[in-house]
Amino acid sequence: MQTKKITRRDFLKLSGSLAAASALAACVPGEQSPVAIPLEAGGQSPVIEPEIQTTLPPVPMAILALNRLTFGIRPGDVDAFNALGSNESERLQNFVAQQLNPEAMDDSEFENRHARAGFETLHKSHEQLYADHIASNPYSSNDDAYWQWYSQPAYELVDETVLRAVYSKKQLVEVLVDFWHNHFNVFFWQDDGVPLLASYNRDALRKHMLGNFRQMLEAVAKHPSMLYYLNQNNSSDAGPNENFARELFELHTLGAENYLGVRDPNAVEKDSNNIAIGYVDNDVYEAARCFTGWRVDDDLGDWEDGVEKTGNFLYHKPWHDRFNKLVLGRYIPADQEDLKDGYDVLDLLASHPGTARHIARKLCRRFISDAPPETVVQAAASTFLQYKDAPDQLKHVMETILLSAEFKASWGGKVKRPFEAATSMMRTLNSDFTRPPGSLHWMLSLMGQRLFERRSPDGYPDTREAWATSMSLLYRWNLAVGLAENWLDDETTGYTIRSDTFAQTPAEIRTASALADYWIQRILNQTLPESSRNAIIAVMAQEYNWDEPLTEEHVRYVLPAMIEVILMSPDFQWR
Amino acid sequence: MKPILTRRQFLQGCSSAIAAMAGAKLTNLAFAKQDNPGDTLVVVFLRGGWDALNVVSPIEGDDRGFYEKARPDIKIENLLRLNDQFGLHPAMAPLYDLYQQGKAGIVHAVGLNYDTRSHFDAQEYIELGTPGAKNTASGWITRHLQASGTSSILPVVSTSGQPTSVLNFVPTVSLSTPDEFSLWDAGLRASHMNALRTLYSGESMLHRAGARTLEALDIVSPLTGGGYEPSNGAYYNEDDFGAQLKTVAQMIKLDAGLRVATVDFGGWDTHEYQNDGNGGYMADLLNSLTSGLANFYLDLDSGYTDRLSVVVISEFGRRLVQNESYGTDHGHGSVMLTLGGNVNGGQVFGQFPGLHNDQLYDRADLAITTDYRSVLGELLAKRMGNTDIESVFPGFSGQYKPLGLFQ
Repeated sequence: MQTKKITRRDFLKLSGSLAAASALAACVPGEQSPVAIPLEAGGQSPVIEPEIQTTLPPVPMAILALNRLTFGIRPGDVDAFNALGSNESERLQNFVAQQLNPEAMDDSEFENRHARAGFETLHKSHEQLYADHIASNPYSSNDDAYWQWYSQPAYELVDETVLRAVYSKKQLVEVLVDFWHNHFNVFFWQDDGVPLLASYNRDALRKHMLGNFRQMLEAVAKHPSMLYYLNQNNSSDAGPNENFARELFELHTLGAENYLGVRDPNAVEKDSNNIAIGYVDNDVYEAARCFTGWRVDDDLGDWEDGVEKTGNFLYHKPWHDRFNKLVLGRYIPADQEDLKDGYDVLDLLASHPGTARHIARKLCRRFISDAPPETVVQAAASTFLQYKDAPDQLKHVMETILLSAEFKASWGGKVKRPFEAATSMMRTLNSDFTRPPGSLHWMLSLMGQRLFERRSPDGYPDTREAWATSMSLLYRWNLAVGLAENWLDDETTGYTIRSDTFAQTPAEIRTASALADYWIQRILNQTLPESSRNAIIAVMAQEYNWDEPLTEEHVRYVLPAMIEVILMSPDFQWR
Repeated sequence: MKPILTRRQFLQGCSSAIAAMAGAKLTNLAFAKQDNPGDTLVVVFLRGGWDALNVVSPIEGDDRGFYEKARPDIKIENLLRLNDQFGLHPAMAPLYDLYQQGKAGIVHAVGLNYDTRSHFDAQEYIELGTPGAKNTASGWITRHLQASGTSSILPVVSTSGQPTSVLNFVPTVSLSTPDEFSLWDAGLRASHMNALRTLYSGESMLHRAGARTLEALDIVSPLTGGGYEPSNGAYYNEDDFGAQLKTVAQMIKLDAGLRVATVDFGGWDTHEYQNDGNGGYMADLLNSLTSGLANFYLDLDSGYTDRLSVVVISEFGRRLVQNESYGTDHGHGSVMLTLGGNVNGGQVFGQFPGLHNDQLYDRADLAITTDYRSVLGELLAKRMGNTDIESVFPGFSGQYKPLGLFQ
């Protein structure tokens, strides 16, 4: 038998008498008490703890689907889902069909709330946004009012996004717009274009996300938010700026998985259409040349010939590099008609099998699991290519993913990200607000996912490791407290979020165990293992017996605390 | 008769021990001293790829000529003279003082010797420690701690999320400030904590993350409530970087076995209008960086700098030639900084390959003559008590060339 000196961590893993003997000693300054213990062969590494694949018991389709395709389960959602068919497959199929045809849905309850929210700028067209909030801001730039007016549309978009996520019935649309904004990420505080975030989200993303990828790609590439964000606005033949072209390849289409590095482009293998199977640096440079002259019509100082200040996309021919280029092995001749060089690059990328795989994998990661099975990725990629010219290409891709066996078979492959955790808490509590108070955004920022504030172009991560940090988790817990205790107020705006959990509890339920069972079912839609249930009952009971009726005063005071614990539980975080 | 303690009670006991001492001085806990055989390492990652050639610029000779010709609008003048060859950006005066005192060192033409100009690839390769291989399951810091063994309750603090360098190092605690790090309650805190301990007692990644958060709450709680007074009159800037360094300083002074702290500083992707003469955007960043570091050092120069090593790294440098937008595009070779009580400071290390077209990487960027892993490897070997370079940087030990950066 081997022995070694115990490490602190091994030591902490011990419980009971062995630890007890030296634990106190170890706490005392100045004393050291090395302990020798037997080392088990093949013992666990004290440092890397590889994730143990959690085998959560399977859940009913309603719970799986509603957690994946919505921003959280509201009371009544499970029953409504189950009424959609006589078996699980049929229910899922009908729910997906409903959600993928949002225009047919009655969303009047949300629309009424939206009307009450008092948004003043979101109805404006892109040109209006530019004119009102950028070109002709009525305030002086030394004045706070100038900056308030300048950023108002973007702030309203943030509030509207929360409102939609919590109240709209068109939930899949909301989940998808979140996906695509992160895919084609633009940072909120992008100089020169902050108010345009509202039109970017609406005109480039929402408009196309169940449509055609090639069209969405072009709408994104031409939108001033993106042109500013990735420095395309200053890219001319005299010095092409690579930033947009690089992210176009690396993030928007082919993905880093198809990046072959700094290599001779002639040495790259070609596919059956004679297109390079992946991209090298040279492709990025050549593509950057193709896009020279793609900019914003934003000559605010009246300095440039042929440039106005509409804030629209502008193809500025004098900046375009007219000479021939080579992209992914495709020869692009000199002096093509206006815009054609850029369109050729977008065509090449949007129809590339590498792009199909990259987009399919990201969508599967969003909707199935952090490491989705390759079979469903391939199936979705095939659909992507099969329908590449169809006006509803992305709807077909979504159907392939959501009706797949892999989708139905997986539970617990995802942990809610902070925004989903927040919205799902508000949905299950029936929280009431028309505009979220600033404290909600602040808490999302401490959790690491303030809306539209991912600075780098890769968008917020979509794997659990990124969100398993202590700070993020702690504020997820704190948000549960803030919501259940009704602490989220904004003194300057008067915005609040309110939920009366006492009023939502049937009056006949008054023992700690019955209250716990009621709210566990209400929030989790399932039962918990005995130890977890007991821990929750203990919070409700405090010093009282679990099965004795509690006073109304006690229930009013302690009920929110018990609900907080259910919302904080790991069981509420899976999706 | 001794009471039977559970692990949880043990942790609570320790943190009340810490709490009891908080009024006086947080130091000398037995387990801390026992656990930390080397320096506390602070890794500052400058996200975005800093423009190394405007950080440490050629001061004279042919290279100065090439530099000025390539950067007519953004070249830096009135450099702080480091030696006959190089000068430091004047906005970095706070670091210059430490350099002259021998507490700060500079490595030039250093970096990730792999063909990529992608931020994400380059950062990932550097932090994984395996250039070219992305399927590595752990970060370089993770493997260092695995090789050297660690046992403290709070071995790694990240003030900016979960960087790849500590990938799969589960005990990492991320927190931005001690004050922000507390659990809210409406008067039933103990009851919450008890329930959470039960609910998060499982084995999944999520359960472990929860349990770790509960442990961290126990440890950090004595530091909350504000009132931190930096030593020696040090002053932390009221920016992200200053706040992160202040947190790290407090965690170091807690003396609870902190081995590594990671700090992020973003905004270095200077594609346009990076300068306004010697001032402007880049100068603001450099000033924030160096005044932050200098005050951090000053704060810890109260008995902690002998056990402190700071290293500053970025994913790459930038193109030699300025772009049309008065900025610079993604490049290759870079500059690293070292700081600490036991660095061989006051010197510029590394072999500068020159800026003539034929001397450039891909005929465009500063070439790399020192692999960044040689810098980190030497740091581990000399200051962290870990000479097993191969286990931290697999496949690299044959190319490992220490430069004499550390004592």
